[in-house]
Amino acid sequence: MKKFLAIALALVMTLSLMGTALAGDLAGTYDIKVWVAEKAVDLTKQQIDNFNKTNDAGITFNATVEAVSEADAGTNMITDVEAGGDLYCFAQDQFARLVQAGALAKLGKKAADTVIANNDAGTVAAATSGDTLYAYPLTSDNGYFMYYDKSVIPEEDVDSLEALIADCEKAQKYFAMETNTSAWYLAAFFFGTGCVSEWVTDNDGSFIEVHDTFNSPQGLIAAKGLKKLVDSPFSLSSSEASAFASDAAVVVTGIWAYEDIAKMLGDNMGVTDLPSFEVDGQQYHIGSFNGCKLLGVKPQEDAVKAAALHRLAQYLTGEECQMERFEALSWGPSNVAAQASDAVQANPGLAALIKQAPYSVPQGQIHGSWWDIGKVIADDVKAATDEAGLQAALDNYTDKISALFTMSDDVKFGWTVIGAVAGSMWDKDFPMTKVSASEWKSDEAFEMDAGTEFKVRQGLSWDNNFPADNFKVEEAGTYFVIFNESTGEVSISAE
Amino acid sequence: MKTYSDLEFLKLSKGEKFKYKFLSFFAGIPKALLNLLLALWNLIKGAGVTIGKEIADICSTFIHGDWKTKLSFIFMGFGCLARGQILRGILFLLFEVVFIGYMVLAGGYWLGMLPSLGVQGPTKEYNEILDVEVTTFHDNSFKILLYGVLTLFFIVAFIYTWRQNVKQNQLAEKILASGKKLRSGKDDLRSLVDDQFHKTLLALPLTGILLFTVMPIVFMILVAFTNYDGTHNGYTNNLFTWVGMDNFNTMLSWTAGKGGNTQSYSATFGEVLVWTLIWAFFATFTNYFLGMFVAMAINKKGIKLKKVWRTILVLTIAIPQFISLLYVSKMFAKNGIVNGFLMSMGWIQEALPFWEDPTWARVTVVLINIWIGIPYLMLIATGILMNIPADLYESARIDGANPWQQYTKITLPYMLFVTGPYLLTSFTGNMNNFNVIYLLTGGAPTNPAASSAAGSVGYTDLLITWLFKITTGAESQYYLASVVGILVFVVVALISLVVYNVLPSIKNEEDFQ
Amino acid sequence: MSQQNAIAPTGPVKKHMGLKASRALGNTAIYLLLIVVSAIWLIPFICILLQSFRVESTWQVGYVIPQQWGLDNYKGLFETDFPRWYMNTFIAALCTAVLQTIIVLCMSYTLSRFRFKMRNGLMRFMLILGMFPGMLTMIILYRVLKDLGMTQANALPGLILVYVASSGMGYYVSKGFFDTIPKSLDEAARVDGATRFQILKKIILPLSKPIVIYTVLTAFMGPWGDFVFARYIAFGSSAGSNVAVGLYNWLSKDQINTRYTMFCAGGVLVAVPVTILFMCLQKYYVEGVTGGAVKG
Repeated sequence: MKKFLAIALALVMTLSLMGTALAGDLAGTYDIKVWVAEKAVDLTKQQIDNFNKTNDAGITFNATVEAVSEADAGTNMITDVEAGGDLYCFAQDQFARLVQAGALAKLGKKAADTVIANNDAGTVAAATSGDTLYAYPLTSDNGYFMYYDKSVIPEEDVDSLEALIADCEKAQKYFAMETNTSAWYLAAFFFGTGCVSEWVTDNDGSFIEVHDTFNSPQGLIAAKGLKKLVDSPFSLSSSEASAFASDAAVVVTGIWAYEDIAKMLGDNMGVTDLPSFEVDGQQYHIGSFNGCKLLGVKPQEDAVKAAALHRLAQYLTGEECQMERFEALSWGPSNVAAQASDAVQANPGLAALIKQAPYSVPQGQIHGSWWDIGKVIADDVKAATDEAGLQAALDNYTDKISALFTMSDDVKFGWTVIGAVAGSMWDKDFPMTKVSASEWKSDEAFEMDAGTEFKVRQGLSWDNNFPADNFKVEEAGTYFVIFNESTGEVSISAE
Repeated sequence: MKTYSDLEFLKLSKGEKFKYKFLSFFAGIPKALLNLLLALWNLIKGAGVTIGKEIADICSTFIHGDWKTKLSFIFMGFGCLARGQILRGILFLLFEVVFIGYMVLAGGYWLGMLPSLGVQGPTKEYNEILDVEVTTFHDNSFKILLYGVLTLFFIVAFIYTWRQNVKQNQLAEKILASGKKLRSGKDDLRSLVDDQFHKTLLALPLTGILLFTVMPIVFMILVAFTNYDGTHNGYTNNLFTWVGMDNFNTMLSWTAGKGGNTQSYSATFGEVLVWTLIWAFFATFTNYFLGMFVAMAINKKGIKLKKVWRTILVLTIAIPQFISLLYVSKMFAKNGIVNGFLMSMGWIQEALPFWEDPTWARVTVVLINIWIGIPYLMLIATGILMNIPADLYESARIDGANPWQQYTKITLPYMLFVTGPYLLTSFTGNMNNFNVIYLLTGGAPTNPAASSAAGSVGYTDLLITWLFKITTGAESQYYLASVVGILVFVVVALISLVVYNVLPSIKNEEDFQ
Repeated sequence: MSQQNAIAPTGPVKKHMGLKASRALGNTAIYLLLIVVSAIWLIPFICILLQSFRVESTWQVGYVIPQQWGLDNYKGLFETDFPRWYMNTFIAALCTAVLQTIIVLCMSYTLSRFRFKMRNGLMRFMLILGMFPGMLTMIILYRVLKDLGMTQANALPGLILVYVASSGMGYYVSKGFFDTIPKSLDEAARVDGATRFQILKKIILPLSKPIVIYTVLTAFMGPWGDFVFARYIAFGSSAGSNVAVGLYNWLSKDQINTRYTMFCAGGVLVAVPVTILFMCLQKYYVEGVTGGAVKG
């Protein structure tokens, strides 16, 4: 009975909604909740008022704007999506978590096109999972660079990590970089030597693959550079601006600290890109993450309200509002037109970010557990006494990364075809099915030219693969791949 | 192990006595565990027997009862109404109506969904015209589990009430048969402030405990058998569901964690547990002895301004910990004022790694905990010390006992006897001392080996702060947090049980009256 | 002093003098110890107090004594939501103090004075319940309160409800106290025909002043320091926050540099009433805790 009633009610509601929906009429008053950073509360209220006055659809938002830190928005939303903000700002590292938790509504096609056309590629990638856009880029300034105290650090030393550390030790002042408690900062050393940690998500925000080269000869070089810093008694794992007020001479942090630090150091404030470190006679410029803040829309039950909210989100992340935010809060815009404006180009903090940009890596999507896994490298590196110890730290890291992906037994023990087949270039696995006690056969037949090479591997890893040298096709044709598990023999067959 | 009689025991030297007590403590553990199992078995057996008896009693009531009683089996309170106990009758009937109404309107749905925890999660649809995605909600596993459990509670309450209703009839028949009068509604009300006064007094507290402690605990125990986490939260199409013992297998298996290379959950749990026990031991006993010492110092005859000293210490109780501990935590930072002071005095060249080095961090939290804990102990010890009869000391002094002997022979045994139960509760309290660790270190420094998919684990993390991290961490693994919670319970219960069986002063509450 | 006099004649005069001297020496040592201990205990509070009067900067600094003194931080508090948080907490503390005291006294009095069928089972059951980490139940309590409409901006009644609802579990201390009141008093009154309720009202309560005050005091102090649960219930809403949650949020990365000294000022304002109350009622607190805590 109850179910029937609910269905009937839903039907009536859908019909009536269809009426308005068909007309595309969004006019009305909506009570909404908006979560933004404490600093941006007043400005956001003002911007929503502006939207109410200027929009041509007759939408009026009755908005409650609450201060919720962008770093906590993810945790808060996941606590209870239903009670979360209808619109909420969050730092991009929480993006995948929010998609997985179903806390972000997809953008409509038109909205997505607008966003992609008007924002820089890095921020669009940050708001995308699989091929779906889930959020609106709000800023493109979530990176870090170096602030220093000119009264302690001579101008000529700012390019060298070793010189900076020496200056700090001499002055008994701290070099603050949050390497031990935050993987976000720690990764800078690894990016500096060309290591990567790239993650692939599907349309639901689940992580399906990782390409991570922290554990490599390059990674070892990075670890050596990192050791120079963490071994210094005057290294401080902090990214707080106020470190300058308690005995720091260098602080690696971001644009958000600019005004606070300007107040603390006055004329002595120096701002520049990160320094280089030297290993085996070679210089490596420390890299950085280049991230952004995003604005998300909570999934809605009411299509009309959803459409109105997306309108507001587009407005709030448009060029005009981003410029207002830049002027009032120095937040660097993600909007391409706003980025090109003279005022933005002239901002010293953003200038340092731009100087650092060639060495920075777009943050993309990163597994939520990586932040916990990554940050222990610094402690491990500090405890290491020799190169083997450094290597062990990296091994420990890789072990944990690989543990993030659980494979079902079907995948773990199943065999797949990989190679230059079906238009792929050794970057895709094609499934096989067990056809007899020991024989596996590919699910599809591949068109192969003479000389096409491929292999068969188990559990999507190279631990077990056949044949030892690639299989080479001798005669062009369309073949199934056959693999005998007990003999390790690979063959092709037309049927 | 040799057991001594009381007389033999008295003849032993001090060292032997201690050894004997120590060994018999551990020798007692297996027996205590056995007793626990026996007690559990007796409980189950007793429950079975009781249920059997109850059913037999219900049957015989029905067979031997008159028509009023028989009708009461279906219409609760009918017998009471028919026999003139209007108040009781109405209450019974009302309860039945409410119960049936609830079950029909809502309870049935929740109960029916409980085995599956829902079949259809939210669906999402793209609306072409408005160019937006719309979500439609269907089943919600969390609500099903919550209201399912509440409905079960309600059913138990109904069965109990129904049973009371049957009993009432049986009793009423007996009373009427013996020619006495039944209690009126007025009598009932009067008895509630007199011979049934305890029921009145307990009604409110127990309802609160039932709804806000028991029900949540039952719920969280059940969550340990599901896969409820941040991604199975009712907003994606992943409803959560029952997974049996899987989570316990994950937590307790000694094979390595996911992927095969990382430390297993059980090893991590073991590491955190060991530190939790070490912490609880030191936190309890440093506070205990130092608190006692300070109390004795202040109480010493001839010391003036007693009230001032006490008040200064007691400030730490009055000021909320989130203020004082956060501040103290910053004081001990690498660039905090403690290091700054020590360096400016030239006593140290480099900052001391109070929060960076595992051992330093562990020692520092214990030391700062002394700062928090001594005032409580001082207050308690002050009261108890005043109660020790002065003539005990006097005669000891006449016998030539020095202050240390007086302390070990009189003060300490007396304190230990009186505060035995307090020591136990403060030990288990310290095991779950969330505030001190969370506010001071947040668990830091990170333990590289132990940190894994369950979130980062630090060297100063207690089980309780680890549990918190799992709950709020990257993957919001509520199911894992529940497993840890249950294991914490098991550990605390075992410790309490063992101590309970060893310490004489806890057992007999009537001794104190 | 009486003890000293009592033994003085028994020992030789010379030794007596030595005893006196060593006692004086001992007392000096104790004074020294107490001064050191007091200093350690007071330093953090003095630091917080000094920081709250610092006006030359708003972030954390490496020195303790302000260069410029002023009340700016305290004035600044009134331009934020601080007064609202303060009121929330004050109301919560007041309601909790009253309701929790009633519940705890009901519970402990019953368990101390009545012997009924389920008594031991009940006590054992509550002992076992208390061994579950309460943190776990936060998630579910949140949902229950949400369905009752008592979260976020309306968190205050929800908080009070949860603080009070489970408070019956904390009966140990006051039960211990009631156990020390002789039962013969009850029995005598019973013989005179008083009901149980009258006994409670006329005989027990007047004797229980210390434990009542102790219970009120601890119940009143609880809500001031709760930030984990309160934050979870009021998440994302400033209007529903209590003072601990609000102040705690000021220490987040994007606010700490502009709010730090105000945090200290807020902390002082929280500490002052609780401290004063505590100092006034300290005597009862000690009586209550020693009368009850150890007898459990």
